[in-house]
Amino acid sequence: MEKVDAAIQIKGLSKKFKGFALDIPELSVPKGFSTALIGENGAGKTTLLNILSGIRLDYQGDIKFFDRWSDKDREQTDCPVREMIGYTGPGSYFLPAWTVKQVEKVNALLFEHFHRDQYERYVDILQIANLGKGGKDKKVSDLSDGNKMKLMLAGVLARDTEMLLLDEPASPLDPLMRDVLCNLMREYIEQGEGEKTVFFSTHNIADMENVTDYAIIMEQGHVAEQGFVEDLKEKYVLVKGEAEDIPVAEKILYSITKNAYGYEGICLAEDMNKLAGLDTEVSTPSLSQISVAVMKKGSKIHLQ
Amino acid sequence: MKLSQTSGVPIYQQIAEAFRTDILSGKMKQGEYLPSIRGLAKELKISVITTMKAYELLEEEGLVTAMQGKGFQVNTQDNEMLREQQMRRVENSINDAIKAARNAGIEDEELREIFDTMLSIKE
Repeated sequence: MEKVDAAIQIKGLSKKFKGFALDIPELSVPKGFSTALIGENGAGKTTLLNILSGIRLDYQGDIKFFDRWSDKDREQTDCPVREMIGYTGPGSYFLPAWTVKQVEKVNALLFEHFHRDQYERYVDILQIANLGKGGKDKKVSDLSDGNKMKLMLAGVLARDTEMLLLDEPASPLDPLMRDVLCNLMREYIEQGEGEKTVFFSTHNIADMENVTDYAIIMEQGHVAEQGFVEDLKEKYVLVKGEAEDIPVAEKILYSITKNAYGYEGICLAEDMNKLAGLDTEVSTPSLSQISVAVMKKGSKIHLQ
Repeated sequence: MKLSQTSGVPIYQQIAEAFRTDILSGKMKQGEYLPSIRGLAKELKISVITTMKAYELLEEEGLVTAMQGKGFQVNTQDNEMLREQQMRRVENSINDAIKAARNAGIEDEELREIFDTMLSIKE
């Protein structure tokens, strides 16, 4: 693996809430790749993205962007970091009374490098509104949840950015539009030639797997597992076997699902030799299967 | 390039195989560059890291060399090395056939006959 630079470096990050604490001693988001943030509801994904995007400022720790600017720098008016990052949230951040046209004007006012022609292109590709038939006069409040998300995406994609922070971009989208989103993310990464980064959270791991290079799996406020997807697929193995072997297998497998006829589970590749002699079928797990296994395992074991 | 998500063969190996065939057959000539990693990922609708892994595999096999900032370039194909690699693939295939024959309880003599018959047909 070529040496990978970081788009974001996090050190000693913590944020305490009542009954929940985000605690990330160290974490890097690789530059030039697409990284997925995966975890159960309440694992801390949105809290982390809010801290990175600057929505939340009440935390402890250090963040470095593009190996150059700190999170303190970001809050200075002459710092380019905010121009360099495009953020979309889980809920619409445009005022409900704004029209599609006004969203364009606001974006153009707020950001130096916003391209109106690009915005129109994305409104069209994402099928947010029919440009020819006065669709740009449509109000944000009249858009569906999916179209509100698409409008935010059109806004950030039409800017010259170095990184996209997307909080659950796929959730409100239908399967066709998820496919379009994946294509747009790949297009963004390709245009950057290794300089542009996407960091997004998702529950729709299977739909997004083919656009995920690096995965960070969170559990109860901390990072339970992370790595390049191809490496994770070598670290874990999907094992299926017969019912009579369950007593042995459940001691060795990382996570296991049992039924009357057999079992299925994820095993650490390094533990595979302990299964020798059992009648098993072994295959490469999907990112989705690895993620579920890690999440099931919960906070009992921390793997590095 | 035909990629299958369900064949059980990892996608990166399928990609590597496609380029390996093109390089070994001479369809891709020495000095030519493989498509850019991110460009190919976009075209094939797969992740960047999968493409990267395929290219790294080809590099390990000595078929291509990573050129700083320029991508992956097809190497001069050393005939002896080429032959050795092709030999290894032939051996592997025969090995598979032997395994299948043993599993099916086919005697060695019968296997030889099958092999000879098939050879004569191919001729």
